[in-house]
Amino acid sequence: MAQGTQSIKIGIVIPLTGATSQFGATMSAAAKIAASDINAAGGVAGRPVEVVIEDDQSNPEAAVRATRKLIDVDKVVSIGGSYASAVTSAIAPLCYESKTALFTSSGADSITKTPHNGYIFRTSPTVTLQGTRVGRYALELGAKKMFFLGPQTPFAQAYIDIISKLFKEAGGAGQGLIYEDKRASYRTEVDQALRTNPDVIVLGGYVPDTSVVLKDLYRAGFGGKKVGFSFGVNQVLADGIPQEVSEGTASLVPSASEESPAYRTLIGKLGRPALDSYSCQVYDHVVLTALALAYAAASSPSGTAVRDSVRAISQGGKGEKVSDVAQGLKMIADKKPINYDGPSGPLEFASNGDVEGVFFRYEQVQQGKMALLKVA
Amino acid sequence: MTSYLLFIGTITAIYALLSLGLVVSWGQAGMVNLGLVGFFGLGAYCSALLTYIGAPIGFGWLAGAALAAAIGVAFCLLTRTLRGDYLAIVTLGFGEGLRLVELNERWLTGGSDGISGIRPPLKEALSDLYPWFYFTLAWAVVALAAWALSRILASPFGRALRAVRDDEKVAAVAGKNVLRLKCQAFGIGAALFGFAGALYAHFTSYISPDNFVIQLTIYIFLAVTAGGYSRLVGAIFGSLAVMTILESSRFAAEFIPGLSAVQIASLREFTIAVALIMIMQLRPQGVFGLRNERAGANASDGAPHATAVPATPN
Amino acid sequence: MIVFTELAQYVVNGLVLGALIALPALGLTLIFSVQGFVNFSVAAQMTVGAYAAWLAGSHLGWSPILMLLLAFAVPGALGVVTDRLALAPVRRQSGAHTALMLAVVSIALNLAIENALRFIFGSNLNNFDLPMERNLQVWGLSVGPQQLRNLVTALVIAVALAAFFSLTRWGKAMRAVADNTDLARLKGIEPRSLSNLATFIGMGLAGIGGSLLAIDTSVDPSTGSRLILVIFAASVLGGLTSLYGAVLGALVIGVAGEVAMIAMPPVYQSLTAFLAILVILLVKPTGLFAGATGVRK
Repeated sequence: MAQGTQSIKIGIVIPLTGATSQFGATMSAAAKIAASDINAAGGVAGRPVEVVIEDDQSNPEAAVRATRKLIDVDKVVSIGGSYASAVTSAIAPLCYESKTALFTSSGADSITKTPHNGYIFRTSPTVTLQGTRVGRYALELGAKKMFFLGPQTPFAQAYIDIISKLFKEAGGAGQGLIYEDKRASYRTEVDQALRTNPDVIVLGGYVPDTSVVLKDLYRAGFGGKKVGFSFGVNQVLADGIPQEVSEGTASLVPSASEESPAYRTLIGKLGRPALDSYSCQVYDHVVLTALALAYAAASSPSGTAVRDSVRAISQGGKGEKVSDVAQGLKMIADKKPINYDGPSGPLEFASNGDVEGVFFRYEQVQQGKMALLKVA
Repeated sequence: MTSYLLFIGTITAIYALLSLGLVVSWGQAGMVNLGLVGFFGLGAYCSALLTYIGAPIGFGWLAGAALAAAIGVAFCLLTRTLRGDYLAIVTLGFGEGLRLVELNERWLTGGSDGISGIRPPLKEALSDLYPWFYFTLAWAVVALAAWALSRILASPFGRALRAVRDDEKVAAVAGKNVLRLKCQAFGIGAALFGFAGALYAHFTSYISPDNFVIQLTIYIFLAVTAGGYSRLVGAIFGSLAVMTILESSRFAAEFIPGLSAVQIASLREFTIAVALIMIMQLRPQGVFGLRNERAGANASDGAPHATAVPATPN
Repeated sequence: MIVFTELAQYVVNGLVLGALIALPALGLTLIFSVQGFVNFSVAAQMTVGAYAAWLAGSHLGWSPILMLLLAFAVPGALGVVTDRLALAPVRRQSGAHTALMLAVVSIALNLAIENALRFIFGSNLNNFDLPMERNLQVWGLSVGPQQLRNLVTALVIAVALAAFFSLTRWGKAMRAVADNTDLARLKGIEPRSLSNLATFIGMGLAGIGGSLLAIDTSVDPSTGSRLILVIFAASVLGGLTSLYGAVLGALVIGVAGEVAMIAMPPVYQSLTAFLAILVILLVKPTGLFAGATGVRK
């Protein structure tokens, strides 16, 4: 096969089965849309891109095998999608040792502290940032007593500490309880939470356990505010529980700025009213790889080329703001500087690979749909 | 492609080591260990933590195996009054309980962040040869374990074990120390699980509680059953078969058009499950049958015949 | 006094939770009694029942009673079909460890069914269009009406099942088979039909349990599998062959987990339940309720 027409492969490792698979369907759809958007615009320097999707089975052991296959057999230049923190931590060494770029939507702070030599890009805000924003929003709502309910995750205790501190500084009080996931009922946990008479409950869980907690909160007659994170409170959750149960629950979704049309365009292509942040991030993982390779204009695309060029197309004051990949590819071909802002955010990366300057969409479940309150 | 095959080959060796452990405790001594993933995790965490504070890697591996063995023997003693089924549930509970401890005792295990940067042996020195080295090392361990086990199981100790498995009362009447035999077999099995865990941890350099979930226990049980459940060679064959099914289905799935990614992934797991069911149906005694059962039957220690028939030759 | 109310509330919560796992535990126990192995595919059949009920209720607008009947019939029938296809060929091979091999095959079968469901329905959570009810307050204790109905449904079915086994011809025949296959055959009872009947009822019960669970939470392909360890534990605690034992075992597990939260962090709930089982088993190695009225004497 001629070098010029051979496709550039981008690996996607996402949970399609198992405990964390709630976003798998939209994540894979977003990855495919990204590839077709790029190919419709003529691909990268005339070469089409191809996404190779592998299931991580919500299990780091399976994810490692899948990643090995992508790197060694498919020879992908980058891997995107990786969602659960344990999966990302497990596959990260494989990626940076083989000089493959890794784009991740995991939040655990520890991930970018690995010796990754710049090969890791995290498009999701860190735990610390998300916790702070959720805490401030809860205060904005006028709450004085916060209670955090969430399963054991790398960030549960960090969330409790961060948000409680914010509440104490504001003259209120905060505490939390970490529960066991996979349970059929959280009545006793909810009882314990409500005994402290909180006026806001922060939901730190994923979709399956958050749906049960919300039902138990409703049954117990909790009338206060409910705020959650985008991995727990989103359209998948709203579709899965009765309207009266989800009504009024707020969620902070990492996002592009309000002016950016990228998000609107993507949900239009998917034919959905709203989309979780993680699927948006997968879309951007593919686009960032393509733009970086186009910019690098290297004769043979590689993970190192991706690593070295991502910042050149995603940030910096010189470049013109671009939210459409076709336009971005065209401008790169015309040697014009660009600054890509995707559906998941402005995508500015600090030197350690963490994303900076993310906006949040403040959303609220209203009659079973995620309604936008503001972007900040 | 080569490095992928080396990687999968090394993981297969680790599966094979787990399978060998299960053959000893289940196939030869009749004790069900549904918590093998717990012992696997114990070895992995033990070695990862010890080498983190500066212990030599080889010491970490042995310590991982020893700790797993000690816990295994303790379980055996604790449940000595219980029927076999109950050992199954106690070990199952142990596997799940240990995962919870790994998840929640963050000061020790790093919680769900897991432990990353586990030291690989000689990686710097070997550089490009490292995958070959680890592959060879893992299979050498498997070969060594299989050889040692075959010696042990062919000895009077092995015959006594099978006597216990087939009928404890008869074995006791024949003067066997049943509890001691059971503890030894269960301990050897647990030690192999622990060693396999340590090998795994230093191979992938990262472990977390999510690594040690019941899926792996299922794969190993299927590998051992497919290989005839009491045969050492069968266990190794079974591990190869299971890994082949797991990985080849990945490539097959790419050729199905018109399905969403979720459907392809579900279909893949469905196919894996069905393939495993079919293996069990077609080869009820496993590919390698129960040939070494006969040693026990022919011995003069009064052990009863194994009830199973030998496999028909291929 | 406050401590007492708190404790009582935990017990109530535990009973409610126990009721959810009681029916699948009953199904597991029934199948074990007649066929002599632990059929782990009850977990996936719970999910099958939950999807059947969800389709009937939310898409076809059936009434709750009809919904539950479908949640009984579909997994029941599917249970028999998969049993014949996957398990029967293994069962026919006699071997030293057939029971355990069957259990292992049933785990693979569980995986197959779960992924077939995921293939059809995707990984989304699905909600029943049933009105949500606030908890009732009784003597300072709160309990949900739906959950109360679950508890009553589970108990009624357990009693009905016990009556079936002690009063009807088929029920007695099943007990005879459980006790002695050869004897049953002498009496002209076809063991295969009985085994099918046990599977049908057992999986049907799991299906009802699964749909009650899904009404309480929601349904996705892993609805049943998430709880399989607890269900298995409940069944073992009940002695694996006693029907009352299964129900009581489920309630004990439910209560033990909740009450343990007084002393233990909530993250160790199931570990506490397992420790409780271990202690109980060490004191009474045959299981709590073995020997009580059951399928097998």
